[in-house]
Amino acid sequence: MRIRSGQDIATGLLFLAFGLAAYWIGADYPMGSPQRPGTGVLPRILAWCLMGTGAILCAKAFLADGTALTRWAWRPVIMTTLATIAFALTVDNLGLVVSMLLSMTLCALGTPETRWREYAIFCVLMVALGVGMFIWGLRMPIPVWPVSLPGALSWN
Amino acid sequence: MELGSLFSNLSLGFSVAVSLQNLFWCLMGAVIGTAVGVLPGVGPTATMALLLPATYFLPPEGALIMLAGIYYGAQYGGSTTAILVNLPGEASSVVTTLDGYQMARQGRAGPALAIAALGSFFAGCVATIAIVLAAPPLTRLAQQFAPADYFSLMVLGLVFAVVLARGSVIKAFGMIFLGMLLGLVGTDVNTGNTRFTFGISDLFDGIGFVPLVMGVFGIAEIMANLTNPQRRDLVDAKVSGLLPTKEDIMRSIAPVLRGTFLGGLLGILPGGGAVLASFSAYTVEKRLSKTPEKFGTGMIEGVAAPESANNAAAQTSFIPMLTLGIPSNAVMAMMIGGMMIHGIIPGPQVMEQKPGLFWGMIVSMWIGNLMLVVLNLPLIGIWVRMLLVPYRLLAVAILFFCCIGVYSLNNSANEVLIIALFGVIGYLLMKLECEPAPLLLGFLLGPMMEVYMRRAMLLSRGDPWVFLQRPLSLTFLAIAVVLLLFVILPNVRRARETAFQE
Repeated sequence: MRIRSGQDIATGLLFLAFGLAAYWIGADYPMGSPQRPGTGVLPRILAWCLMGTGAILCAKAFLADGTALTRWAWRPVIMTTLATIAFALTVDNLGLVVSMLLSMTLCALGTPETRWREYAIFCVLMVALGVGMFIWGLRMPIPVWPVSLPGALSWN
Repeated sequence: MELGSLFSNLSLGFSVAVSLQNLFWCLMGAVIGTAVGVLPGVGPTATMALLLPATYFLPPEGALIMLAGIYYGAQYGGSTTAILVNLPGEASSVVTTLDGYQMARQGRAGPALAIAALGSFFAGCVATIAIVLAAPPLTRLAQQFAPADYFSLMVLGLVFAVVLARGSVIKAFGMIFLGMLLGLVGTDVNTGNTRFTFGISDLFDGIGFVPLVMGVFGIAEIMANLTNPQRRDLVDAKVSGLLPTKEDIMRSIAPVLRGTFLGGLLGILPGGGAVLASFSAYTVEKRLSKTPEKFGTGMIEGVAAPESANNAAAQTSFIPMLTLGIPSNAVMAMMIGGMMIHGIIPGPQVMEQKPGLFWGMIVSMWIGNLMLVVLNLPLIGIWVRMLLVPYRLLAVAILFFCCIGVYSLNNSANEVLIIALFGVIGYLLMKLECEPAPLLLGFLLGPMMEVYMRRAMLLSRGDPWVFLQRPLSLTFLAIAVVLLLFVILPNVRRARETAFQE
């Protein structure tokens, strides 16, 4: 027996893990009565279904040829995620301008294709658009510039 | 069917759709749709997800008219790049590249574009009429549904989505279950208990639809597209002479009619939609043709049929969403999301309670199609120029719009963190070749199914046989089982054969 599809086994294990977790977390949800099904009924059913699909996929990975796992592109994934997180953590305290510059630059670092001069011009345009459209136009309650340094240091 | 009420409905729709404001939103939708259709790597689903928060600021009619416009606009835009640059802007125009690009290389880009646009327009008109005719009877039928019927119908819908989905059936099932689980996160409305919230107060109201789709469709797509940067060699696409010859038109009539019919039919089925329609229409034309070997060398039939089919399907896929409140694909899920943002609960009651919205949206589709013909043919040069914007810049812009869009929903930065999480999950699922559409359908339908299941069980005093005793419910479930057997049996046989070969 050997694994004939890395992709199938990975997907199967993922589904199994989600199913097990759902079963475990939902173990103490009340099941109610047949007439009044409780909070736990559907989670329990879905947990079984997910574990079942996961098991079938794992079995299939041994029985039939399939796609192997392809390489995970770390750079764009990490940089894009960091960019999103950076926006979330800074926008309330450091204001839209700083937050945009930070998150967009992190995103631009996600690809080796970025040409920095072109990016700089684009960045200025985007910040102008962002402030103009969302703060002046739609009047969203976001500060344009950093509020205060102590406030900026305690994320909340 | 009473013709009188049909006309009064349509005229009500017209009065809503031609108001200056709604015409503007229709145009906006059509223009944005064409733009994202032209740009590969930016699809209508992601765009609608991006714009969902913005629709909060619009009146509900304008919001839905614009969102609908993005979808069918993308079908037009996708064909333009397919023909001119051999790059399908959308998955639904992949087959158009086969013959469309060959025609362009022979200097016949003009006729190909014209036939694609006119065929799409024709299909759009027919499909709009189909919606008008099908909606009232279906709505009446839906009003007689008991909770058990609804539950079974949703099961059938999900099974359809799995059967027609691209790729692995088992994975599609897993994605549906996963989506339903995600949909259950938060407070259980019936009992007040919280589920899967890990004590995080931001999750007590459940995972928002917008953060979920922005993560899975927006952020994850940025990650995927930055990984495989596309080389876009812009051929010098000079379009001279838009007018098709008489022969082109004669050869296209039958394919357009067949494409419209096939597309319209496939569009209604859950999980169908534009992609399946265009592929099937191309296959049918090739089968029927006397010269099948010439397909792929610039046959106008190979452009006319799939382009009509994808547009017809794009439109008729609104039927189950409008009448039953059941989304049949990811785009319709967005439409439902758009309705819910405005506090409209999708379902058969929409037609009665909001006739202006309902008929206005349908009529706006016809107007939007007209706008698209006018927009697309003369402005093709501008659309192609858009391909010059490199993805490395688009990615930055999309990222910003995702973040600010989600933030604007509740002015909450924590929701932006949720899209970061779903971005990674979305990328992981993409790597595992799990289609995100079934996940979305499960997410929307899961909580609804729970509500109907509970009502049905309450009405039947705890007797689960109710799902098999009501004729409608039994029919839906029976069809679902038959469909499942159809897909599973060949798979099992194939798996056994390969296993025995060892």
